[in-house]
Amino acid sequence: MSLDEVALQALNGLSFGALLFLLASGFTLVFGLMQIVNLAHGAFYLAGGYVGVAAFGASGSFPVAVAAGAAAAAAIGLASERLLLRRVRGQELPEVLLTVGIALVLADACLALFGGNPRAIPIPDTLAGGVQLGAVTYPTYRLVVLSLAVGVGVLLYLVQHRTRLGALIRAGVDDREVAESLGIDVPRVFTAMFVFGSALAGLAGVVAAGLLTLRPGADTDILLFALVVVVVGGLGSLQGAAVGSALIGLVDAFAKVWVPELSTFAVFAPMAVVLMFRPSGLFGRSRP
Amino acid sequence: MITVRLAKAAAAAVAVAAVVAAPYVLPSYVVSLLTLGFIAALLAGSVNLLAGQAGLVSLGHAGLAAAGAYGVAWATVQGLPLPATLGVAGALTLAVSVLYALTTMRTSGIVFLMITLALGITVFGLAVKLSSVTGGQNGLTGIRRPEPIGEWWQFYFFTAAVYGVCLLAMAAMARSPFGLTLRGVRESQSRMISLGYSVRAVKFTAMVVSGGFAGLAGVLLAWNSEFMSPSAVSFPRSALAVVMVIVGGTGTLLGPLVGAAIVVATEYWLSSYLERWPTVLGVALILVVLFAPRGIVGGLEGLAGTLAQRPRRKEKS
Repeated sequence: MSLDEVALQALNGLSFGALLFLLASGFTLVFGLMQIVNLAHGAFYLAGGYVGVAAFGASGSFPVAVAAGAAAAAAIGLASERLLLRRVRGQELPEVLLTVGIALVLADACLALFGGNPRAIPIPDTLAGGVQLGAVTYPTYRLVVLSLAVGVGVLLYLVQHRTRLGALIRAGVDDREVAESLGIDVPRVFTAMFVFGSALAGLAGVVAAGLLTLRPGADTDILLFALVVVVVGGLGSLQGAAVGSALIGLVDAFAKVWVPELSTFAVFAPMAVVLMFRPSGLFGRSRP
Repeated sequence: MITVRLAKAAAAAVAVAAVVAAPYVLPSYVVSLLTLGFIAALLAGSVNLLAGQAGLVSLGHAGLAAAGAYGVAWATVQGLPLPATLGVAGALTLAVSVLYALTTMRTSGIVFLMITLALGITVFGLAVKLSSVTGGQNGLTGIRRPEPIGEWWQFYFFTAAVYGVCLLAMAAMARSPFGLTLRGVRESQSRMISLGYSVRAVKFTAMVVSGGFAGLAGVLLAWNSEFMSPSAVSFPRSALAVVMVIVGGTGTLLGPLVGAAIVVATEYWLSSYLERWPTVLGVALILVVLFAPRGIVGGLEGLAGTLAQRPRRKEKS
């Protein structure tokens, strides 16, 4: 493998990692605040992606598709949180099982509405070309995805640490009761965070529609990656999601080239290693 | 007390008689569904062993069933004799169970659930990608049931008997000191540690035992369809096993059987009338979690308990 090919695979890994970060950041933030493992996150991604594809078909505009996909996933997230999850607030297992139920229903609804054939969005003309990076020509779209993820990551970090909203969220994470006694409407912060996390999943789905294809089963495929990323990075940690996404993206890209038959297993290996030495993940807080 | 025992014995006798009579009175299609139901109930039972006793909900048990199923499938296709085939399935199941146990024994609650989920999807990924061994998406064909259980009705009796033996074994385990230890781990890990138990060792053992039952279900699964493909061990299979346990009643002996009956009936019977059966199951799961957290059997037991207690209010259950 020449140096150029290594560079190419590294870029492939990082851009796939960027997609994973869009998905994993929402997942991990929701967990960090609410202790909910949202196993419907993959279904939100798929539903958002499909709506994006449909919106692109109707409007022909990529930004409209992104907005529609994110909005659709946000609406589904809002309904799930308000109507279902809120009823079992704070009970770990019932919450997870509800999200499994939501995932089953949503994946089936996607199959009913959008059929079983793979769907994708043709990359818009302005992003369709390649960029010359040294000796490698690299697709512009993938670089845009990469910068989008970096942008979202920086924005999330700044909101979390520099704004009043971020302070409210951190207060809700650290000590819910004291935060409530200080007059913070914690349930509303929860709802807002869940909706925001869902919107990120929908956004990731539309972005993925230009990178991979959307089809039945893509929701659980991508959920595996998101789970591995947050387990490696540490549940609830934004930095962990960033490092984990890059790591898993790279491992996946190189494993697909070097050991194609074992590529799924190769993604799982770093998780096993991390669990053996740091059960709470690279950046996670240790949990009882 | 004696009347209760008598009633239970009578109910068991009726159940056994019904199971034995089924292939003589029911059409073969229904009997094949019953066979599937017993296999599904065995897998759900292995999930229930962990979920009901130790409070560890696994969303990756299809991966353990896959070990048994692919073990049998691969060994049969290679032309190995029956004992060697079962040896391959057993060894593979043990290896995968130990892998599951090693990676999950330090965890509990949702972390356990997430890691088993990731493991299950990983095994599925291997089944798809490792096509030189598993046949990939095309699967493995040419699996034949061994001679004495070759006919559909013979296999039905065999499956029912295996399930019956496993059910008794699981019941005995729940009553044993080990079952008590598992419930102790569920209630308070710190107290179990201070009592001198190695919680990790307990969880390790529980996972390997549960994996054994799941692997056995996998063997039956491969023999039942005489074909093995990755879709038989995909994530929805793991999720459905959990749905069976939750809907039937977590921690109850017969809950998984009831849950399996409902799920199999929905998947194979309702699906011929209604295309959207996963939605039905998803909605059922949501409703049970919200309104009947103890499941059908758990709810009925609770109801029976209240009714039985009414005349003798003072007596403690």
